[in-house]
Amino acid sequence: MGNVKFHHVYKYYKGEPIPSVNDFHLDVADGEFLVLVGPSGCGKSTTLRMLAGLEDVSQGDIYIDGKFTNFVSPKDRDIAMVFQNYALYPNLSVHENMALGLQLRKVAKHDVELRVNRAAKMLEISHLLSKKPNQLSGGQKQRVALGRALVREPKAFLMDEPLSNLDAKLRTQTRTEIIKMHGQLQTTFVYVTHDQTEAMTMGTRIVVMKDGRIQQVAPPQQLYDEPRNLFVAGFIGTPQMNFLQGAVVRQDGVYYFETKRLKLRIPETYSVRFEASGANLRQIVLGLRPEHVACGNDAPEAWADWQAAAIVDMKEPMGSDTFLYTKVGEETLIARTDAHTPIRVGDSILLALQMNKAHFFDLESGVSLSIPGDRA
Amino acid sequence: MGNTATERINTSTEPLPNSKRMASRLWRWRKHASWFQVTLIVFLTAIGLFMLLPIIFLFNNAFKPLNELFLFPPTIWVKEPTMRNFERLFLHSAAGVVPFTRYLFNSVIVVALTLFSVIMASTMAGYVLAKHRFHFKTLIMSLIMLSLMFAPETVSIPRYIMVSGLGMTNTYFAHVLPFIASPVAVFLMKQFIDQVPDALIEAAKLDGAGDMYIFTRIIIPLIAPAVATISIITFQAVYLDMEGSTLYTQKETMKTLAYYVSSLTANLQNSVAGQSIAAACALLMFIPNLIMFLLFQRKMIQTMLHSGVK
Ligand SMILES: Nc1ncnc2c1ncn2[C@@H]1O[C@H](COP(=O)(O)OP(=O)(O)OP(=O)(O)O)[C@@H](O)[C@H]1O
Ligand SMILES: [Mg+2]
Repeated sequence: MGNVKFHHVYKYYKGEPIPSVNDFHLDVADGEFLVLVGPSGCGKSTTLRMLAGLEDVSQGDIYIDGKFTNFVSPKDRDIAMVFQNYALYPNLSVHENMALGLQLRKVAKHDVELRVNRAAKMLEISHLLSKKPNQLSGGQKQRVALGRALVREPKAFLMDEPLSNLDAKLRTQTRTEIIKMHGQLQTTFVYVTHDQTEAMTMGTRIVVMKDGRIQQVAPPQQLYDEPRNLFVAGFIGTPQMNFLQGAVVRQDGVYYFETKRLKLRIPETYSVRFEASGANLRQIVLGLRPEHVACGNDAPEAWADWQAAAIVDMKEPMGSDTFLYTKVGEETLIARTDAHTPIRVGDSILLALQMNKAHFFDLESGVSLSIPGDRA
Repeated sequence: MGNTATERINTSTEPLPNSKRMASRLWRWRKHASWFQVTLIVFLTAIGLFMLLPIIFLFNNAFKPLNELFLFPPTIWVKEPTMRNFERLFLHSAAGVVPFTRYLFNSVIVVALTLFSVIMASTMAGYVLAKHRFHFKTLIMSLIMLSLMFAPETVSIPRYIMVSGLGMTNTYFAHVLPFIASPVAVFLMKQFIDQVPDALIEAAKLDGAGDMYIFTRIIIPLIAPAVATISIITFQAVYLDMEGSTLYTQKETMKTLAYYVSSLTANLQNSVAGQSIAAACALLMFIPNLIMFLLFQRKMIQTMLHSGVK
């Protein structure tokens, strides 16, 4: 019952020549956990606030539950929102904070009690009900804010960076709680964050935005595996995807990726796309995730013509793996390797660039020319 | 900082001879406060006491017998306190056409009405100016700021025209109306409400609250300190105001206490008895002010802390 439809939505703030949200067009199915992610100022909050009715839509239509909602006031949209800074009413107790939305909607008293107590139990804040917000810790406050949304049993939950003010451990914990909450309720969630870990772990579908425009909409794994452009490729994944600029050349029917120092054979599966794309093959960006850059010694024989000599510049042990920041000429390539690797800073090593997992982008437009070969 | 220092000293209670204890106390205090702080505290205390002088003088004067009132050079402390001054005041006012209590009653009514309306007008205007979007908002705000610049004398004629044009002369509204438009109050409220996070109001909107509900249940409790400040400022202005009584009311029965007191002292200026009545009156006028201030001062200090200066 909580599907949401954005139909070519634009937002122009007063006095701003360029739209803060530019042609946002998306269907959100009922029960979906949609995450809006992107760098600061890309229009995530604006989009969410338009959905909540807190900002006017400049152009385009928003439908909630199939109904045209542009001009419906926030209180009649039947959605609940959780804010970054909690926004609890400071003069009301936790119980009153949670009950207010129901009381204003004239829900029967015993029903209010029932719902507040149930939500409090679910979020483990029952013992806090009589406290005032200023007597709570940040994590408790945010759980109260979640509870306040929960009791409303709305058509959709909107959350704008609800975890940003919490410390790392609480953030992970509350994140799990929200995921569980979504699992139990099966209601539509629209969740804004600039943290890609949150996006990847929570979303059933992720919208990557930049400068007010949707860059890509996809489930987390697909977003990671098949970024549609340079921005998405660079934005999703830590450490960042490696980028090398070079040219694609053809010799004896085989394509090679060529930079000043490297010449790497490209698996056949890519070839067709290069021809068809019409991109300038002299200006191509190769993208390769750190886990697809292996240290030459561990590499299987098949990768023999994907090798590059490198010098280890920096070592970043993560506990489970180690990331090696290596120099190939002036270019930095990050490689993931075993946690207990004997390689030290300053060592000269051979890298194996796993070209069958590579991404190719048109430098000028940033558009992806490929989905990696073995999945094409 | 002074507080914590003294607390720490008080908690350490070793039995020491008095002078030694004093010395060690000072020594310990030195550890917490630099010489600069010590000098500052001494200096500020001195200034504070100096500021207190008029009030002490006022209290003492009211209880001085006539001969002490006319002493030269004047003394601060009363030597033989007496209630004669108050007796004279009540005797004198009982002999007048309009009793003293009528003026008092008028003042109470006018002050109450004005406080209520100023608080209503300034909080509502402040809320709208701070949290609503509408056309010409900055223009309106700058007009309000501009009106802060006018000395009250410059607007008394337009005020009179408005009051009389509305047929309000000789009513309580004549006293109240000129105070309702208080740019200081609106400005202070706006500044204060600006600091209430927008998200709070938005959360309330999504919870289903209307504007009036948000204003009365969420904004007002949060800005209580500012309301207290406005109350003190307005109270003092209205309570001591004489313009309402001299310009807008001709009927003696509609005039206020401040006017009565000033007329008393003005009429009796040259008589010896006048001085003693004036001394008693001055104290009576001062006491409600003091009470208001004591009631609201704590809240008022909070306002100072909140309103940007911090
Ligand atoms: N009230 C406003 N008036 C004018 N411009 C605004 C307003 N609110 C936001 N903007 C602009 O709109 C753009 C998008 O803002 P928005 O708050 O949606 O970004 P965001 O993606 O939520 O960023 P963040 O991660 O920092 O919260 C920004 O460029 C911002 O400057
Ligand atoms: Mg934001």
